Amino acid sequence: MEQDQRIIVGVYHLSKSFGKHFGLHDVNLQVANGEFVFLVGPSGAGKSTLLRMIYMDDFPDSGQVVVGPYVSTRMKSSTIAELRRKTGIVFQDFRLLGDKTVFENVALALKAAGAGLGEIKKQVTEILMRVGLYHKRYDFPHELSGGEQQRVAIARAIANRPAVLLADEPTGNLDAVVTRSILELLFKINAGGTAVLMATHDLELVKSFGQRIIYLEGGRVVKDSEMIYVGDLRRKIDGSPVGRRAERLEGRDIRGEGEGR
Amino acid sequence: MNAAQFGYVFDEAATMLRRHKAANAVSIVIMGLSLLILVVFLLVTINVQAVIDRAGDEMRVYVYLADGAGEAAARDIQMRLLGLPGVEEVVFVPRDEALLSFRETLGKNSDMLDALEGNPLPDAFRVKVKPEYIRSERLEEMARNVEGWSGVEEARYGERWLERGEKLVKGFYFADLFVGLIILLSVVFVIANTVRLTVISRQRSIEVARLVGATNAYVRIPFLVEGAVQGAVAAGLAVALSAIVHAVARRHLPGLLFLGGDAIAAFVFFCTILGAIVSLGAMRRLLRF
Ligand SMILES: Nc1ncnc2c1ncn2[C@@H]1O[C@H](COP(=O)(O)OP(=O)(O)O)[C@@H](O)[C@H]1O
Ligand SMILES: [Mg+2]
Repeated sequence: MEQDQRIIVGVYHLSKSFGKHFGLHDVNLQVANGEFVFLVGPSGAGKSTLLRMIYMDDFPDSGQVVVGPYVSTRMKSSTIAELRRKTGIVFQDFRLLGDKTVFENVALALKAAGAGLGEIKKQVTEILMRVGLYHKRYDFPHELSGGEQQRVAIARAIANRPAVLLADEPTGNLDAVVTRSILELLFKINAGGTAVLMATHDLELVKSFGQRIIYLEGGRVVKDSEMIYVGDLRRKIDGSPVGRRAERLEGRDIRGEGEGR
Repeated sequence: MNAAQFGYVFDEAATMLRRHKAANAVSIVIMGLSLLILVVFLLVTINVQAVIDRAGDEMRVYVYLADGAGEAAARDIQMRLLGLPGVEEVVFVPRDEALLSFRETLGKNSDMLDALEGNPLPDAFRVKVKPEYIRSERLEEMARNVEGWSGVEEARYGERWLERGEKLVKGFYFADLFVGLIILLSVVFVIANTVRLTVISRQRSIEVARLVGATNAYVRIPFLVEGAVQGAVAAGLAVALSAIVHAVARRHLPGLLFLGGDAIAAFVFFCTILGAIVSLGAMRRLLRF
């Protein structure tokens, strides 16, 4: 299915069941290019499951997920790999390789994408400076604090300049001060044009930022603080215009090579 | 896959081998010893074959002429013998000469020949046959054919001996096949198992590689290399150990043959490919994608 080019992540009538009790039910949501969205819901609501469908580690029973040019019903292993190179993913538990240095951990994403050594060196240096960890490039993950480890994970996630960054409870293991700094980093990345979809169970933490919030409960979207009308208009639920973020609708997209429309 | 990725993949394989030195060393030693058994069986086989071949070189077909066959008939038979496929040399052995050498063989018992009147032995041709024709069925066919010629009384060769030798070699080949099969299975099992352990211990790094968009080949090639290296090193070890066994055995059995360079290369190559294939198979069952 084709979707509006300004939409980077689209979920359409997605349903998935696990046994009798849990599942996602007719989930619909769209994230525009350059947008920042919090996906909020209690533990067990299905946030992680939904994100997994978006980076296509799992697939819906019915409905579709569309990420840029990638459509969940038409994926094969090579296009999944392609999608992952154009999507940044961050987790609560960082998922760094303990036997590799900070530099090597970030370089991994570029190597997988086939970058040459020179480019890797330049790119990793630049990104580590951006996340403020260049001085720790030769350290191993266990020598870093939790917040620093998450910064490395974020650096790895944005190494290939993805159009969208998915974050699953990225601050779940971090204290309040560090949580704040990680959120600031995510906002900074978003300000650079990357769409961010961050899942969290902590409504209190995120409600003050004025970003769009999608509420998920029992596998259903129960509320969306902003609605996107695919077309020209995009408004908050209360009817006021979205403001400057709407300008980013024209921003980057992640069309696959050779698939330009 | 471009050059940079290729380089990376081999780095990864090297890291993997380094990290799992102990596990790899253990499986390589187990495989090396299993393969050693196979190599020793092969060595025994080629040596038995060599002994039989050498004996075969000495082997001659004797074509005895009928009593009173004339000189013309003899010459005709000689020509026809020379025309047969596989015949290298035809030597006429006059009956007197045959008797003489018989006497020599008998030594001081040769007196008993004096009791005979005249020479009971016939004239004969001693036929030398090319090595590749020293096979029961070929010699048998030649003998039957020649015995049908007029002027020929009988054609003989060491038929009993030859048949027995051939059976022996065939037995060894079957044993090799049987042992080879069992050892192959054990090698497949050992490689599959080590690769499986490596995959499990590398679960996290495989997961992360996939997360950042590594392709199938990218994830799998390091394991493929691991399997191939295991196969190659185990084969090399087996060859080295069998060389020691050979050197020791040769003190008692001089002239004992060893595998040729071609055979060693083929053996190592085969084990390398086997390692890669087994590793691929082990991964297919373990890695979803
Ligand atoms: N692969 C699966 N098989 C069975 N149940 C699953 C699976 N994935 C998720 N679940 C169920 O989904 C529920 C929570 O989903 P999850 O997406 O982890 O929620 P959240 O991230 O919002 O806490 C759990 O109760 C779990 O039992
Ligand atoms: Mg979760």
